Amino acid sequence: MTGMRIVGNVTHLPTTTFGHRTSMWWGTLGYVVIEGSTLLICAVAYVYFRKNFQTWPPERVFRPGLTAAAVQAAIMLLSNWPMVLVDRAARRLDLRAVQRGMVLITVLSIAMCVLRGFEFQALNVRWDSNAYGSAAWAVLTTHAILLLLQTVETIVFTLLLFSPNLEQRDLSAASDNALYWYFMTGSWIPLAAVVFLMPYLV
Amino acid sequence: MKTDELEPGRLPATVDELVPQLEATWHQEPTFLGWLRSVDHKSIATRYIATAFVFFLLAGLEAAAMRAQLSRPENRILGPDAYNQFFTMHGTTMMFLFAVPIMQAVGLYLVPLMIGARNVAFPKLNAYGYWVYLFGGVFLYVMFFLNTGPDAGWFAYVPLSGPAFSPGKRVDVWAQAITFTEIAALVASVELIVTTFKNRAPGMTLNRMPLFVWAMLVQSFMVLFAMPWVATASQFLAMDRLVGTHFFNPVEGGDALLWQHLFWFFGHPEVYIIFIPALGMVSAIVTTFTGRQVLGYSAMVLSMIATGVLGFGLWVHHMFATGLPQMGESFFTASSLMIAIPSGIQIFCWLATIWAGRPRLTVPFLFVAGFVVLFIIGGFTGVMIASVPFDQVVHDTYFIVAHFHYVLIGGAVFPLFGAFYYWFPKITGRQLSERLGRWNFWLFFLGMNVTFFPMHLLGFEGMPRRVYTYLPETGWGDLNLLASAGATMIAFSVLLFLVNVVRALRSGIPAGNDPWGGDTLEWAASSPPRPYNFPIIPVVDGQGPLWRHPVELPGVAGLRTDVREVLVTTLLDAEPDSRHRHPPPTIWPLLAAIGTTILFVTLIFTPWGVVIGMPLLFLAFLGWAWPRGRDHREQVAIEQEVRPAEARP
Amino acid sequence: MNALDAQGQAGLVMGALWDPMLLMATVTFVVVVGVLLWAIFRRRGGNEAPDDPTRDRSLGRVVGVGVLLTTLVLLVCLGLDISVGRAITATPGKDAVQIRVTGHQWWWEVHYRDLVPQRWVTTANEIHVPVGRPVVIELRSTDVIHSFWPPELTGKRDLIPGKTNSLWLQADRPGEYRGQCAEFCGHQHAKMAFLVVAEPADSFAHWLETQRDTALTPSDSLTRRGQEVFLASSCPMCHAISGTPAGSRVGPDLTHLASRRTIAAGTLRNTRGNLAGWIIDPQSIKPGAKMPPNELSPADLEALLAYLETLR
Repeated sequence: MTGMRIVGNVTHLPTTTFGHRTSMWWGTLGYVVIEGSTLLICAVAYVYFRKNFQTWPPERVFRPGLTAAAVQAAIMLLSNWPMVLVDRAARRLDLRAVQRGMVLITVLSIAMCVLRGFEFQALNVRWDSNAYGSAAWAVLTTHAILLLLQTVETIVFTLLLFSPNLEQRDLSAASDNALYWYFMTGSWIPLAAVVFLMPYLV
Repeated sequence: MKTDELEPGRLPATVDELVPQLEATWHQEPTFLGWLRSVDHKSIATRYIATAFVFFLLAGLEAAAMRAQLSRPENRILGPDAYNQFFTMHGTTMMFLFAVPIMQAVGLYLVPLMIGARNVAFPKLNAYGYWVYLFGGVFLYVMFFLNTGPDAGWFAYVPLSGPAFSPGKRVDVWAQAITFTEIAALVASVELIVTTFKNRAPGMTLNRMPLFVWAMLVQSFMVLFAMPWVATASQFLAMDRLVGTHFFNPVEGGDALLWQHLFWFFGHPEVYIIFIPALGMVSAIVTTFTGRQVLGYSAMVLSMIATGVLGFGLWVHHMFATGLPQMGESFFTASSLMIAIPSGIQIFCWLATIWAGRPRLTVPFLFVAGFVVLFIIGGFTGVMIASVPFDQVVHDTYFIVAHFHYVLIGGAVFPLFGAFYYWFPKITGRQLSERLGRWNFWLFFLGMNVTFFPMHLLGFEGMPRRVYTYLPETGWGDLNLLASAGATMIAFSVLLFLVNVVRALRSGIPAGNDPWGGDTLEWAASSPPRPYNFPIIPVVDGQGPLWRHPVELPGVAGLRTDVREVLVTTLLDAEPDSRHRHPPPTIWPLLAAIGTTILFVTLIFTPWGVVIGMPLLFLAFLGWAWPRGRDHREQVAIEQEVRPAEARP
Repeated sequence: MNALDAQGQAGLVMGALWDPMLLMATVTFVVVVGVLLWAIFRRRGGNEAPDDPTRDRSLGRVVGVGVLLTTLVLLVCLGLDISVGRAITATPGKDAVQIRVTGHQWWWEVHYRDLVPQRWVTTANEIHVPVGRPVVIELRSTDVIHSFWPPELTGKRDLIPGKTNSLWLQADRPGEYRGQCAEFCGHQHAKMAFLVVAEPADSFAHWLETQRDTALTPSDSLTRRGQEVFLASSCPMCHAISGTPAGSRVGPDLTHLASRRTIAAGTLRNTRGNLAGWIIDPQSIKPGAKMPPNELSPADLEALLAYLETLR
């Protein structure tokens, strides 16, 4: 072992940091890239199939219903505000505010899951009817998996916030959660536009 | 960062005082259970390398069987059904179970050491990635031995691989094996990126990172962007086969070419994913054995980045025979030609480095020289097949087989063997025999040429790929026999390597921490390194830190020694930013991998696999992530800083 | 079937692309390996420092020149590639023979197209072309992806279900040009070959006319018995013979079987012995092929073979 000599000291460095200062945030960003690519690929397949059909949707398929998707999009967009507040509260180390905010986020998450069920119905096509149906279901299912994983993580994190095992550094998970949340809601808007609006436009 | 800006606080006077507590805190349990619970990157990477090498041997045996079958016309060693499984397994094993994992594994071992870190960024995730990889590979081979191995090629073109023309579960096994290896590869790439971004030694700015670290960083980004394409495509195929979707069914608006676009959008970057780490290995070996840094550091880094980016713009050159519009095809000719430029830059820089330095003809260096010769042959045929009209002559013939074996064996496997010889002493503490190594090298080099050079001619003579036999009147018998003879030489050379490894492990000369006189930080650690890598975190003030400080490395202390703590630094300038707690050994990553395996294997047989597998995964996630073993210091911190919010009215 | 002996478009490609690229590659290889060996083995002075900044700068310039030369060579390649590409895809004139090839697992269905539907010709695995006249081949598939490639005549093109591709070729010399399927298509991909027979214009015209005829009615008792054996076995389930009730398109059309040089998609020479072996047990020759074994008494087989030999 080559000899080493001490020239400096890092004891003063904090053990709790937030956002891009943490490794976990970058790991979450990596996950965002992976999931984002997967969603993009599903959307690409959907758009690619347009050239194989005379009409869009294909003959004898109704256009998708828009109500559920519109409500979902609205809730998703609006939910970013409480998430921002949770992120800020965590950075302030305001545990109560984080707890309150995460309970609200949990409720919103569950509501989104329920709405997703209605969105599947609103597609008006089965996954095994034709390539249009397969691609539309692929987009919705991939995003639904994202939503489901987010809901589970949200619930677990919220429970942890009320646990005596909570440590200060666990609060930085709130900012990672926030990143994931923005991605989940943000990615849904263009995807919903493709799957629900494109049949009305082309 | 100037080292005299930091004031030493209540620190020990010498580094040695830290060692006993570090040994205790970072202790690896020597039991089997301890091995299962390990979260040490070196332990995980070593088993990754060993496992990948086993798959390399298995794929080699498959190749040997294929070469035996093809050595004579109308041979009867393997019938069509067996042969189709063999060539599919050979390709799938080499590409998914050997090449990518082993390159990432070498990175997972070396990158933390080279950047002065104690571990990768997410130790539990690293363990999980390995187990998923292992279980996926084992699953594939169990099915193969049960005569349910995939048989539609490693590329599984539809409609042949679809439900109508590949009944049974063979292709589903392939699709799910992809999922396992894809998860492992993505996990490893996230590890490498985040570790390189956030755990570099203080002072190791981006332009002081070793070229091997840059190579792994570029490769990891490529994995991140490329893998989802094959994963999603294989899920589309799995769904076509299992639940009746129509992604690739032309009758219902699906598209056979969509598969090819999706697969090759991954498939072309895949070969650069395999190749770019090898470029990093070559740079490391050239540096040490010429006694100087590689000439043109910035050009080298930019070339690797350019190769990585350009690699995503070539994929249609695999589809030149499918009847796509000519204008589009010409674009891909141009990009496929252009990518030769950054590779050329690197070769010229290495040649200049060798010319200027004092080369030492050790075995690692021999493999690098062999790489140069073989890779440029493969590169030239690559330039040729970038041309649409020429490719339409040789596409799907043995000319292509020759091309990619030259670039993969020459461009990736030779540097890899060089890397084995170079870093073996560091990993095991023993030296490999130089004499046996030379025999290994020459036999491999000659065998490789005897096997694959004739295949260029076979391609011109009209021999297509993926044929289990051929008629005597084609006249292909002689060249095939020659190729098979070459394959025997390769087999012997690999055997020599195994003998070398076994003998070295049993009774090889013990290696000190720096047997070659290297310049990068891993040579400062002991051979093999301690679980915590370095007792204090090194401070870096230029490229090649060990040549700059040959006697004593400067470093920063202050990380806790009673728990596993690592240093987090800033992204661009690597200034110390925070201290991060790492987990002790745990069984949960293994359990989570088992849950993952159950989920994906049951999904082959029924969509209800989701209902069975997801709850198991959820439980494993809870066990993994739920905090246990509270730290008193951290607890107190919460009391003082966080809870006071409750006291407010 | 050697592309190095190619004529027509393939010949142009090999001559205009392969030859110059081979030369370029060989020269560059010799230079680079030469530099490598020189760099390793050159004599070094005692106090020649490994990293001398001045020398590094001049080395950098040399590297720059190398990169520039590489780029120029690649640009030349690009130019060659595009111009040769244009030359071989230029659509041929109006007098081209129009053929449609449909790929099946593991044989080639061949149609000669005509403006008059009744004049279409159906055959399998063997394509005749007139020397010196362009031939346009439309490519389709009914099952999986195949690829059509006669190395001495042209580059390949895939047959993709759901898509219609086409290529054109022209034989400048008479001869028999063999090709094989060049896209993995399942069990018998290895034995899915075809023949392109190039002949002078008048013999091609004669061949095409005879292919248009319906099958000759059997004239003696043996061949009549052979036809009965054919129609009574499972053969008509897959094979058609025009002029008889057998009209299935699942397998190759047999109306002019005896005029073909090979059977089983180029696997065997079309001799009586080979044909007998193929009919009795196709699986031993092409395991996995879609043709089942046929149990026939020696007398029935004899008659059948006699009948099939009349199908010229």
